[in-house]
Amino acid sequence: MSHATELAAAAGSSDPRVGLRAVRALRRLLETLEVIQVDNARRHGWSWQEIADALEVSRQGVHKKHAGRPAVGPSKEV
Amino acid sequence: MFERFTERARALVGAAADEARRREHPAVAAEHLLLALLADEDSLAVRVLRDAGADLADLRARAVVAVSAADGTSRPFDSADAAALREIGIDLDAVRAAVERAFGAGALQPPAPPRRSWWRRQLGGTFNPQARKILELSLREALRLRHRHIGTEHILLAMVRDGRGAAAETVVAAGVDPTTLDQFVLNALRPAA
Repeated sequence: MSHATELAAAAGSSDPRVGLRAVRALRRLLETLEVIQVDNARRHGWSWQEIADALEVSRQGVHKKHAGRPAVGPSKEV
Repeated sequence: MFERFTERARALVGAAADEARRREHPAVAAEHLLLALLADEDSLAVRVLRDAGADLADLRARAVVAVSAADGTSRPFDSADAAALREIGIDLDAVRAAVERAFGAGALQPPAPPRRSWWRRQLGGTFNPQARKILELSLREALRLRHRHIGTEHILLAMVRDGRGAAAETVVAAGVDPTTLDQFVLNALRPAA
């Protein structure tokens, strides 16, 4: 079976291991992108409230999750 | 649960926290627990390891190497992640390229896992998920053997019995069969005739 066919077969499979592994990888990717974008927004001077509104989550939630990281400095381009 | 820990087991956990602090690691990991466990040469855990055929000097050297990798940085995305994402139509390389265009090379680094604070309140240190799991499993090991206390030997069993994780792999690499450790613990606890 060619590589492409194998992949297509796996994509159509209802094997929970395949599906859950994809969810796990996607969650890691999502968390990674969230950290990058929240830090970027902070560097651009966005308030926690503005970030929370953009993500459609509570201000407390976004603050609790992200405020503990080392502070990000102001962007040099600002 | 912590009140069930013997004085030696508490000292082990405290020493692991000291070890992490001294190395300026953000959290106590399984590797710090292993190093602290090996440091107390008169503990039941070390006696069990010796009985099970471990070369203690070799094991300690391996543990020192393993602990330096426990600096809290998270595992980067690997080919298994990329393959899993491809299954659902996401091209990780394309995402990485887009992120690196905006934020520079290496920007797509997964964040370190979030930490909880229960063990920190108990002990004055932060424990990563593997280390917390080991301490929780040590209670289960004690219950399984019908022991009322949690000692260094139960922490050892919790650490290596499933054979997974950096600490377990280090012990196995030093020549210990994790499936036989139970028996060595029971032998060590049997009162001398």
